[in-house]
Amino acid sequence: MTLSDTIAGLLGLNADDPLHFFVAAILASAIVGTFMLVNVAIAGPWAKRKITAAFTDRIAVNRIGPFGLMVIVADAVRLLSKELIVPEKVDRPAWDLAPLLIAGSALLGFAVIPMGNGIQVADPEVGLAYVFAVASLASVGLVMAGYASNNKYSMLGGLRAVAQNLAYEIPLVLTGVSVVLFAGTLQLGNVDAANTIVGAQQATLATIGGIAIPSWYAFVNPFAFVLFLVANLAEVGRNPFDTPEAPTEIVAGYQTEYSSVYFVLMYLGEFIHIFLGGAIVATIFLGGPAGPVLPGIVWFLIKIWAVFLFTQWARSALPRVRIDQLIEIGWKGMLVLSFANLILTAIIVGVVV
Amino acid sequence: MSLEEPGPRDVGLTKAGEVNYDELEALLGDAVLDRETHLNAEAFVIRPDAVQDTLSTLKEEAGFDFLNCVTAQEYQDRYETIYHMTKYDDRTQEVGVVVPTSKDDPVSESAEPVFRTADWHEREAYDLVGIEYEGHPDPRRILLPDTWQGHPLSLDYDQTKPQIVTLRENRNPLQEDQRLNDDSDTMLLNIGPHHPATHGVLHVEATLDGEQVADVEPDIGYIHRCEEQMCQQGTYRHQIMPYPDRWDWGGAGLLNEWAYARTAETLADIDVPEYAQVIRTMSAELSRILSHMLAVAAYALDVVGDFTATFMYGMQDRETVQNILEDLTGQRLMFNYFRLGGVAWDLPEPREEFFEKIRAFIDDLPEKLEEYHNLLTSNEILQVRTVNTGRLEPEVAKSYGATGPVARGSGIDYDVRRDDPYGYYDKLDWDVVTEDGCDNYARLLVRLQEVEESAKIINQCVDLLEDWPEEDRTIQANVPRTIKPEPDTEVYKSVEAAKGELGIYIRSDGTDKPARFKIRGGSFSNLQTLPEMAEGEYIADLIASLGSLDTIMGEVDR
Repeated sequence: MTLSDTIAGLLGLNADDPLHFFVAAILASAIVGTFMLVNVAIAGPWAKRKITAAFTDRIAVNRIGPFGLMVIVADAVRLLSKELIVPEKVDRPAWDLAPLLIAGSALLGFAVIPMGNGIQVADPEVGLAYVFAVASLASVGLVMAGYASNNKYSMLGGLRAVAQNLAYEIPLVLTGVSVVLFAGTLQLGNVDAANTIVGAQQATLATIGGIAIPSWYAFVNPFAFVLFLVANLAEVGRNPFDTPEAPTEIVAGYQTEYSSVYFVLMYLGEFIHIFLGGAIVATIFLGGPAGPVLPGIVWFLIKIWAVFLFTQWARSALPRVRIDQLIEIGWKGMLVLSFANLILTAIIVGVVV
Repeated sequence: MSLEEPGPRDVGLTKAGEVNYDELEALLGDAVLDRETHLNAEAFVIRPDAVQDTLSTLKEEAGFDFLNCVTAQEYQDRYETIYHMTKYDDRTQEVGVVVPTSKDDPVSESAEPVFRTADWHEREAYDLVGIEYEGHPDPRRILLPDTWQGHPLSLDYDQTKPQIVTLRENRNPLQEDQRLNDDSDTMLLNIGPHHPATHGVLHVEATLDGEQVADVEPDIGYIHRCEEQMCQQGTYRHQIMPYPDRWDWGGAGLLNEWAYARTAETLADIDVPEYAQVIRTMSAELSRILSHMLAVAAYALDVVGDFTATFMYGMQDRETVQNILEDLTGQRLMFNYFRLGGVAWDLPEPREEFFEKIRAFIDDLPEKLEEYHNLLTSNEILQVRTVNTGRLEPEVAKSYGATGPVARGSGIDYDVRRDDPYGYYDKLDWDVVTEDGCDNYARLLVRLQEVEESAKIINQCVDLLEDWPEEDRTIQANVPRTIKPEPDTEVYKSVEAAKGELGIYIRSDGTDKPARFKIRGGSFSNLQTLPEMAEGEYIADLIASLGSLDTIMGEVDR
């Protein structure tokens, strides 16, 4: 039962009628989209500052509202009211579309993510393939932004971004495929749907001291989990792989020339991507929204925020690698390891199942 | 020494190991026109067409391998360029080479083929004074815009003349992207003057071939504030001392003040009381810690990234030092604490509390440094980034006149504090840190280890100050209210500042203000090495190398 079906039922719409279903799906998407944007709103102007401040022994925002939370509103107003500077000779349609594409592509991914308590817009059979496909659309946006900005720093950043995404997308997808080998399906499904990626993780792997350990793929194949986390860091462009932005080298990379609302969109896109990365990690490695006591949606939030925390931690502590080293790690290290992981998984699946 | 065979390095030395100027004069032959006595060393006046011969003879045969500074000035009847030469092996051995040129035709031979460092120094001399150097590879202005009219330090310069320097009149670097040839895919990238990693208003014109750096040219002068001229308009006694603080806003102000104090005290023959010397030594080393901590913290920004925790850790540790220096000097950045003949005032009361503060900092320091080593030097990614990048070979470094941690990171065992002692350094137990890596990593290590050495010095100073008898606490020598050195006294003295050797040349004219005040900033020469390090490497390494030089534009542009 997806969220769209539930809404259709609540509104008395006929889920089999395409028009009715479309309305219900739009409503469901709006709910999920708003929910994720709220997360991003908390993460971007507030949580990120607080987390980084904690790592660097500072206090950060604490002036407006309780715990400084109202800075979210203040920053939103501030950023949106700034002048939108359009540099000379930017490649207009591309320059304007890039921020939309970057922010939009990541939001699309959440359409198939099971967030617990029946919050899932759709559950197609090709769910995982769909998530990877829309998430990688952002690369196009980065190239557009880098190329259209008529700025050399943007150009360098755009080229770096596409080189990096190519180098890490393949290990990422290959590692994802190893999960597919386990589950035997691309469908993300839900906790109670047995023959899906999430459903398959609910079985008990082992019982230690009376506590049942679920067969989350992070426990079944920790190697793939680590590989995926690292590739994901590169995919969202966080240290040690924040080379495409590399503020101290190339100012801000592809987003150098974006101001005001476009800057918000770029930034937003980055954070949604981090959360989408977290959602994919949670879904295919950490049992989706499953967990004891608390409702599924809370567990889902805990898991994606944990991944977010991890990216911020890496950002505070790890040095950035150079672009050639980054490409080398991607093509010579991660790719080989992800193939090894795939073969390893195939053997495990072949022997055990 | 006396038992060894006399090698080429011993030419021009007396038996006692001091410079034998008569022998040097004979060595230089008929190039020498005259001899002058400067307070720091003898100087030979030579023919303007014999600069290269003279300098290379002094370099190759007499071992003067360090062209420390080039001072240019105009007299009523002539122009003059002074090459202040010394040795990396022995800083106390100095010789000046004075090159007079006529008013009508101010051209002398360039020293650039002998010492690379002369490149920028001579450009500056041309820019500010107006002397031209024959055979200079790149005779352009350096500090002032290309369109500037006249030479500000020349005698006939009209200071009231308006100078229009429009952006349009400057060469637009974007016009020619293809620098090498039409077929190449190079791109000219302007890094700075406003860029997150240029540590001040430095403009680096980098020609990129993909991500690789094909050519680098630092463009300086954005924060040229006529510091030399301002010092020439101040009286020796009090009005000049605040300026050196402004050459380094990284916390190294006290070290810079010492450069002026040392030079002016030599000029006016002032002896500083021992008690004041200990206070100077202690506060100067605190200042060095401030500067090195900032260098390390900012380096973390350059290499780790914008949100690095290391930067804030560095800032917090500096905060402790700044509080101590605030207690002592009343200031946190522009200290203005040194006076000719001593320091401004005694340690703050209660003294025990002040010492306790310093001790607490020193005691905590090893643990804090351990954290920097954990976060930076022992991190594999940082090692991959910095080891063997930005290489600066010792011979190259010497030719460019590199000093300070940059030279010591290239294995050059050179530190003015030890080699030409001043203050209380020679009576304390500490080491000169050198690393043989010649790379970015080595320079980072040198700075971190120098913080430890500074802490050692401070600790010993506190020991001394604690036991100092109360009746013997003279903080200032008896200095005349107005200092008027004999006319035409010339002196060049330097100290080990945070970034490198900071030298000051003063010529007096009998008044209470200097007739010529020349500053040799350590960063000026260090920054000049950047192309040697960065060319052929990646743009990320260019940034890392620039950061590892720890330049401060205040003493580059002055």
